[in-house]
Amino acid sequence: MEYGFDINYVIDFIPKLLSTLNITLLIVAGAIGLGLLVGFVVALPRLYNVPVLRNVSMVYVSFFRGTPILIQLFLFYYGLPEILKLIYIDISKLPVLYFVILTFGLNVGAYVSETIRAAVLAVNRGQVEAAYSIGMTGYQAFTRIVLPQAVGIAVPVFANLVIAMLKDTSLAFTLGVMEMTGKAQTLGSLSQHFIETYIALALIYLVISITLERLMLVAERRLSRHLRRDSGEKNRFFARRRKRVTLGRLTRELKPGNKEVPRYEA
Amino acid sequence: MKLDPSFIWTAFVQLWSAVPTTLLITLVSVLVGFVIGTITALSRIYRIPVLSQLSGAYVTFIRGTPMLTHLLLIYFGLPMIVDGLSAQLDLGWNSAKIPMIGFAYISFSITAGAYLSEVIRSGLLAVERGQMEAAWSIGMTTPQALRRIVFPQALAASLPNLSNSVIGMLHASTLAFTVSVVDLNAKAQIVASTNWKFFEAYIAAALIFWGLTIFIERITGFIERRINVYSKGGVA
Repeated sequence: MEYGFDINYVIDFIPKLLSTLNITLLIVAGAIGLGLLVGFVVALPRLYNVPVLRNVSMVYVSFFRGTPILIQLFLFYYGLPEILKLIYIDISKLPVLYFVILTFGLNVGAYVSETIRAAVLAVNRGQVEAAYSIGMTGYQAFTRIVLPQAVGIAVPVFANLVIAMLKDTSLAFTLGVMEMTGKAQTLGSLSQHFIETYIALALIYLVISITLERLMLVAERRLSRHLRRDSGEKNRFFARRRKRVTLGRLTRELKPGNKEVPRYEA
Repeated sequence: MKLDPSFIWTAFVQLWSAVPTTLLITLVSVLVGFVIGTITALSRIYRIPVLSQLSGAYVTFIRGTPMLTHLLLIYFGLPMIVDGLSAQLDLGWNSAKIPMIGFAYISFSITAGAYLSEVIRSGLLAVERGQMEAAWSIGMTTPQALRRIVFPQALAASLPNLSNSVIGMLHASTLAFTVSVVDLNAKAQIVASTNWKFFEAYIAAALIFWGLTIFIERITGFIERRINVYSKGGVA
């Protein structure tokens, strides 16, 4: 088989693929927006231990985390019109994009609810008690004390969710949405240069992922700046805490034959 | 078109035949991925000159791109390499002899390797240095200490992450249908389109996946209790 790999195709395809970037980003933004909303609603019954709703939200989370997103996509795409037909709502004409955003949104919602739950539970119980002791109401204590701290804790997990979502948008092509992966397949079959197309596609995804990661890191730094320890005299009490020493550092320092005296921070 | 609950059961029975394929893909990709992950994680921890940079690039690239692109790159790229090699070396072998499921195995293993690399790395870093020192002090060599002391503890520490990765790979194996492997998802599509009952077929597929996921979670929970038997807390 004569198949000339031509790097020029990669360069050529990148702008063409970027023309569908807005759809990919739209799916990510829509799904994350919807997911935040759903996740918050789903997390509340479990945080406040509401009897029946708690179990409903547990099943919801278990289902969306326990089944592949691809299956969910097909399930909603084929199932939702049929179910809504039973109550005489016809949505079979709705563009596929809405189904994709809805499914991804519900899927992200399950993960977000777990993230929120974990983050809120990670905030020390004493914080709430302290807030009560100076006369805050339950609502005030939540919005002023618990939430800002919980958001700081949740951001790294949330960042992973956003990047995972970005990568999952590549599944939307299975329903015929013309986002980046769908476009890449079209370009590939038109030009018969599949490898170049997919390399271009992978490069674009890589750049977006890294960009998102950097942005989230900035947000994380900003939101958890109350935890940062300044060097110097100000925080000597905390600075004296023993650093966690790890295998990697140990083996580097203590390599057999390494004459250097290992440095211990105490 | 009416909803037909009884067909869910029919589809369920028909879908069972595809469960072994799905499980096999998951198993192979996790096992091979574990080997790749261990090598890359160790080379990054020990900062082996060229290998660690390669591993870093590999992990970044794989984790930064969708799994579907890996599968498609392997699917279209591997035959080119294989054919090129066999033409040059006159092996009399060609890419048409690679079974479809082989592409899924290779690509998913590469993907799983990158994700497991991070899991293993965090597990190894969670083991305290004193453990290594203690092993050396009683005369173990580094490989011995790693094998007997560090790995078991690292494994225990990373068990929850490992189980998440296994579940992730189980779910990701649904992508195999794009290279015409008849896994659970592809079977559901076949059952759905031959009977024109899409919703019911996918409900059955979702139920099977849900069951498998819960099963994996339970097993992990069981192993976790067993592994942590040595640290019950308390004095003795």
